[in-house]
Amino acid sequence: MVLAWRTGGIANAALAVTCALSIAAWAGGAGFGDDDDNSEEEGPSYFGFVRDTSGATVPDAKVTVGLKGRGGIITRTDLLGTYKVPGFGKDVDPKDVEVACDKPGYKQMRVVRRSAPSKDPKIPIETECTLQRI
Amino acid sequence: MRKWKAPRIACASLVIVAAASGRVPAESPFGDPNAEPAPFNPQMAALMSMLIQPRHAKLGLAGEAENWPLAAYSLKELRQGFAVASRAVPRWRGLPVPELFDAAVTQPLTLLDFAIKLKYSRQFNEAYEQLTAGCNACHATTDHSFIVIKVPNASGFPNQEFAPKR
Repeated sequence: MVLAWRTGGIANAALAVTCALSIAAWAGGAGFGDDDDNSEEEGPSYFGFVRDTSGATVPDAKVTVGLKGRGGIITRTDLLGTYKVPGFGKDVDPKDVEVACDKPGYKQMRVVRRSAPSKDPKIPIETECTLQRI
Repeated sequence: MRKWKAPRIACASLVIVAAASGRVPAESPFGDPNAEPAPFNPQMAALMSMLIQPRHAKLGLAGEAENWPLAAYSLKELRQGFAVASRAVPRWRGLPVPELFDAAVTQPLTLLDFAIKLKYSRQFNEAYEQLTAGCNACHATTDHSFIVIKVPNASGFPNQEFAPKR
């Protein structure tokens, strides 16, 4: 009987600790409002804006994110003038990744990498591409 | 988020069982009442719900009612909401929040400012539509296109008068 009570007490204590920890995690510590962050990318992704020379963003521009001499991924900018491309994998050196942009009526003026490669895979490599109207 | 549901239900049941057995945990699962207050650190979802969505709605309701002083105030509040959110969460999932806000809302906010100052209802409505489209474009960019913002078709603030004082 005593043994049963002790076992129950230990079990209850363990449950209480487990529940306290899980509820604290669920509550997000002192934060408020979960951000359902479940991104698990291997290498850094690639993100950026395409702008015109006035600084305005350019939607529906073609963006090529490629590896030197090995082809690449073609995407288009969205309504905000941004593009996103997932990482190529950890074996690819981000220095070998080139970004180019294009749109009818424009020519590419410059491409500026705005961020250094980060060890945090959640931080994308930002490259801004500027187009000039022709 | 969904993955916590099952453990939560299980834990709730277990706490009830523990309570029924007469041995409740000594400390509340929600924390220690004698602890120092923790800094409040709302994340993007909460900031949007607290600072942006209601202010967007109030701005729309004020403009619809042609209550220009209230619209001007609501616009200022909304601008400040974006500033606070982008300072609090400068990067969200690695994306640069200030730049996304800038691309999504700066132009319509400027147009709204002009429309309010000119008390020009049609331009207000167009700019407000543009602002709302900017919100949804930003949601799409951040993979949250399922959150669709729209021009309010009713007031969610029953204790506030939006019509101008006559």
